[in-house]
Amino acid sequence: MAIRKHHADLTILFTTLGLMALGLIIIYAIGPMRANVLNNTYGTDYDANYFFIGQLRSVALSLVAFFLAFKVIPYKYLQKYAKPFMILALALSALLWLLAMTGSSLAKCELGECRWFNLGAVSFQPAELIKLALVVYLADFITRKKENGELGKWQEFWLPFIAVCGASLFLVVIAQGDLGTGVALIAIIFGMLLVSGIPARQYLIMLALVLAVAVGSVVTSSHRMQRVDAWLDTLTGAESSDSTYHIDNAMLAIGTGGFFGVGIGNSVQATGYLPESINDSVFAIMGETFGFVGLFLVLAVFAAMLIRMLKVAEHTTDTNSNLFIVGVFSWTLAQVVVNIAAMTSLVPVTGITLPLLSYGGTSMVFIAFAIGLVLQLSCYTSREVISNHENISSRRRVGGTHHTSSRRSA
Amino acid sequence: MPRNNHQLSKVSTKKSAKSRIGILRNVVLVAFAIIAVRLFCIQIIEHDDWVAKADEQHTLLETIVARRGEIYMMDKGEPVPVVLNQTTYQIVIDPTVTEREPIEKALRNYAPDYISVDFDEIYNQEGLRYAIIAKNVPRNLAEQIASEDIGAVWFKKNNQRVYSEGQLASGLLGFVNADGIGQYGVEGSLNELLSGKDGLLKTTSDVNNVALSIGKDNVKIPAEDGKNVVLSIDRGLEKGIEKLTAEALDNTAASNASVLIMNPNTGEILTMANLPNYDPANYGNVTDASAYNNYTLDVPYEPASICKSFTFSAAINEGVMTPDTTYFNKHYEEVDDWKIWNAERRDAVYGTLTMRDALYWSLNTGSIYALKLLGGNPNAINQQGREKLFDYYYNKFRLGQVTGVELAEAEGYIEDPNEGWGRDSTYANMTFGQNLQITMLQTATAFSAVINGGTWRTPSVVKGYYEDDKIVPTDTERIEDKILTDETSATMRSMLIYNREYLVRGGVDRPGYDIGGKSGTAQVVKNGAYDDSFAELVGSYIGFVATSGEMPQYVIMTKMWGANQSVDSGEALNLFSTLSSYLIDYYKLKPGAV
Repeated sequence: MAIRKHHADLTILFTTLGLMALGLIIIYAIGPMRANVLNNTYGTDYDANYFFIGQLRSVALSLVAFFLAFKVIPYKYLQKYAKPFMILALALSALLWLLAMTGSSLAKCELGECRWFNLGAVSFQPAELIKLALVVYLADFITRKKENGELGKWQEFWLPFIAVCGASLFLVVIAQGDLGTGVALIAIIFGMLLVSGIPARQYLIMLALVLAVAVGSVVTSSHRMQRVDAWLDTLTGAESSDSTYHIDNAMLAIGTGGFFGVGIGNSVQATGYLPESINDSVFAIMGETFGFVGLFLVLAVFAAMLIRMLKVAEHTTDTNSNLFIVGVFSWTLAQVVVNIAAMTSLVPVTGITLPLLSYGGTSMVFIAFAIGLVLQLSCYTSREVISNHENISSRRRVGGTHHTSSRRSA
Repeated sequence: MPRNNHQLSKVSTKKSAKSRIGILRNVVLVAFAIIAVRLFCIQIIEHDDWVAKADEQHTLLETIVARRGEIYMMDKGEPVPVVLNQTTYQIVIDPTVTEREPIEKALRNYAPDYISVDFDEIYNQEGLRYAIIAKNVPRNLAEQIASEDIGAVWFKKNNQRVYSEGQLASGLLGFVNADGIGQYGVEGSLNELLSGKDGLLKTTSDVNNVALSIGKDNVKIPAEDGKNVVLSIDRGLEKGIEKLTAEALDNTAASNASVLIMNPNTGEILTMANLPNYDPANYGNVTDASAYNNYTLDVPYEPASICKSFTFSAAINEGVMTPDTTYFNKHYEEVDDWKIWNAERRDAVYGTLTMRDALYWSLNTGSIYALKLLGGNPNAINQQGREKLFDYYYNKFRLGQVTGVELAEAEGYIEDPNEGWGRDSTYANMTFGQNLQITMLQTATAFSAVINGGTWRTPSVVKGYYEDDKIVPTDTERIEDKILTDETSATMRSMLIYNREYLVRGGVDRPGYDIGGKSGTAQVVKNGAYDDSFAELVGSYIGFVATSGEMPQYVIMTKMWGANQSVDSGEALNLFSTLSSYLIDYYKLKPGAV
């Protein structure tokens, strides 16, 4: 049974483009300050527009990826290669690990963590590929197991599931020391598991196990425990220290923004006080610049996008698409919530980018690609929440009105 | 489609999937609601607190340091700088960021003499983020190092005082301490004038403390630079005088000497030398702080017999005495049951003498006789005499008072004519310059009045401020007080010239010049009494130089001493003779009719 293509979901389209544009504006405003700080502190020679041009390039690349995923590459095609795609993603991360261990210059390391391939002028972060691959792969895997009635069975389902997820987490969290991406992966896994249809009991047991492992790994790592301590310090209002510096200054930026913000180009915290001002801390700078009103709007935009993704997922006609969209949703939600919660001292800092807004090529390109695929799938939704595939009478975009020109009969 | 085979289960799965998507929707709503509330707390409720914290962190309060004024001396009528400012740099690195190899190489190449650390040490120190690796690096070298463009290297500017003439006139000039505050001499006395007024910059700044244009409460009060002070000191003369004085120190038992040269007709000071000098650029190397003294005005002392010229001036000016007035010299005088002896007790001077000869031989009995004459009773010292002498010493010659020169000076002390015990013996001693405390500058200023026609003038060492290539005179108030008649002054000149007659005959003083003077040898007060062993004496001499038949153009005062050294006025006189001869050559004074 084929569903006729209709209009894509405009909310997701415009929120995506809007966030990219906002990211460009904010980097345009604070990029020169960032360049100035680096030049003064490290004697580098960045041009004032260096970061804006970098962001422009990232946005251009991301738009290409977004429209390729949206209009050119059929999701079905990607689905077909889910397994090799996953293997490729894991292999790349494994290769990076090996290169880092052998001290190769192809592995780019910062602060002791080797997360990037050094490809001359550009660098590439394979953890981002793992996120996309895992979403694609798990959608395919769970759908297959479900169709074969093997869902929830230990040998047929859980064993391979744990193997793939475990390998992904190992490479990202242990080998690359990237806790932020690890959190996103766990969100993807449990988001997709939640809608996979496995028994609730199994789901809760797995969740409890993973939480136990996570807590254990935090407590046993002095480096991670430090971040938790720093977070507790900021919560209890203890004296500032080096470890609370980042979060103190993020809060300071947000707090000084007030209701309307200090306005574009007037951020003081971006002049070097707030670490990672253009990357992970961009939300705090936006808080200073645009104030409560601005941040509330940004939250609303993300919320609209996320809720809309769920709506599309509900209206998909096949399990695979449904799972994929929930995967992308979980990925986006995790990054948005963990990033913002860290900036507002609700959770410890993990080092995670704010989707579509933070400076940084790889992460934006991949999430744009993933959202592009969601948009592609939104063209094939049914008007009804599917309960019986034989009785589909109307197919249009989610919540689409009947007077759109796309109305066609099957 | 395979799904069709499991239609029933499919429906239930989808339903549960739907409800589970509902869970996800709730997760979004709850998470975003929590974040929104949190943002509301931070941005709206706690806003003021954060703004206050931000102000604390972002506000840069920086003084704009005023440029310290330079110090000039005169040379052939033109001001020449002798104390300048130089901008030097401290080089600072962050060893955790700065690469060692290039910065170490650059320093060793360009400024090896200024390196202030051991590179091994700072690079092996765990967690060191700040290290000053070179100090006092001159601008050109700092620029060369900066041009190497090494990351994480900072140059901190500081202003350094440069004394271009080295140790010249160090006692007069003083120095600037590490806090930038002038100490001793001109630097200390005129510190406020030289330092100017610092400005203030209050601004929002970035993390490297660079001022930003962001922010609305930025304040900038510009600095007022210090004045460039032009001293009336003649640089060439000062140099020559210091050289000759240093030589004199080498050839006598004295360890210290001070020389003051001034124009008696204007009060302008031309030389203020205190030897030995110290190096004001390395003032910390001095072990005894007394080396910083400007003895010409910081330290009062007893110039001794030099003061006879003041006592004689008083008596002549009062009309109670002439150079030809006679008295009987019996080598001593008994006052308040106290025998005051003459230093000179040769038989030839025993008996009746003129006052001219009494001054020539520097007889204490002569000046005591003048005091008696001031009181109107040749046989005894009385209240009127004491009061007259006090009036001349204190009110007219202004001894024991600050002169009003631009520098900090000691006041000294003159005994009251009526209060206290033993007034007569005290005043008898004062007639020949003991039992009082006065500075060389007070002495030379009073002496100038004696020989310049009788006018006391406030001395000055500052000619003006150097602004826009012009000397702008200072507006300090100067006193001109006619205290002696022209005739008294002329009489005193002739007596003082007569004092040196034997030197002219001996070929010491050149013919064609009127040179007059008076010596003084002071005993040192030890444990509250004059030390009669004469183990330590301070020798002084004061005199004037003039083209024959003209008014004196220069007054020169010399003082020589040394701890536990008996330096009598003969050494000071010899130094005066040497210096006056040098001065005649230096200023190419024309000889008058012989």
